[in-house]
Amino acid sequence: MFKDLDPLLHSQLRLAVMSLLIGLESAEFTFIKEKTNSTAGNLSVQLDKLSDAGYISVEKSFKGKKPLTTCRVTKKGLRAFEDYVTVLKQYINK
Amino acid sequence: MESENQILSTEQSLEIITRMIRQAHGSAKRNSVYLIVWGVAIILANLGMFILIWVEYPRPYLVWLIAIPAWFATFYLSYKHRQEARVSSHLNRINSFLWYSYGVIIFTIVVFGFKINYQLNPIILLVSAVPAFVSGTIIKFRPLIFGGVLFWLFGIICFLIGGPWQYLVGAVAVATGHLVPGLLLRNKNDEQHVQGS
Repeated sequence: MFKDLDPLLHSQLRLAVMSLLIGLESAEFTFIKEKTNSTAGNLSVQLDKLSDAGYISVEKSFKGKKPLTTCRVTKKGLRAFEDYVTVLKQYINK
Repeated sequence: MESENQILSTEQSLEIITRMIRQAHGSAKRNSVYLIVWGVAIILANLGMFILIWVEYPRPYLVWLIAIPAWFATFYLSYKHRQEARVSSHLNRINSFLWYSYGVIIFTIVVFGFKINYQLNPIILLVSAVPAFVSGTIIKFRPLIFGGVLFWLFGIICFLIGGPWQYLVGAVAVATGHLVPGLLLRNKNDEQHVQGS
């Protein structure tokens, strides 16, 4: 019996964000936007969802006079991503 | 990227994960400037020492003052790169601390050089093999790995020969271990991913 895939991660943009952040210590909003080829509005919404679930931490600061948003994966996010990949493997190998 | 409501197949999920993990691999090209700056400075210093010893100049070691502008350039470039960096990775941090440690060790060897009668060249070349080899492995860049191996070989040669010839060997070692890998890294195609940024 397979577990269900985590609905929060089983979405194109949120999965892309988590996959990108998993190999990094932290990344700026503009970097994530560029690499995921997403719009700022959509990305903001998805980052909020991941942040609300505790999968990522979002830090807002300033770089000079420009606002800066930095994201990083939390331990909970890392566990959720590992579980997601484990379940995904089960589906692929069935 | 499309909206979140699109239903993903397992293959699509896997493709997204693979593609994004690959995207996280930055370019290490930016680091090439440090190899070039220090490569040029140390080659000039070694050649300067070699020539000044031959012409029997009383204070040939003054040529090492060339390291001062190299340090200023390093501080300025690293400050600029930190300001521009939009992403931070674990490997990037490990790589940076590897080179900081190398700088501290070289500084210590030079400061206490009088304890070993300033027979520094072989030791400096052997110590230089470590960051070049490990950094080359971290960023998956073979010329730097080979450069590390060459540092080790030239270090052994330096032990076997003496006098001013050690400075000539030192210049060749730095050319093959820092300058050439730095120039190759700088000219590397962006599409060829090099890990760590």
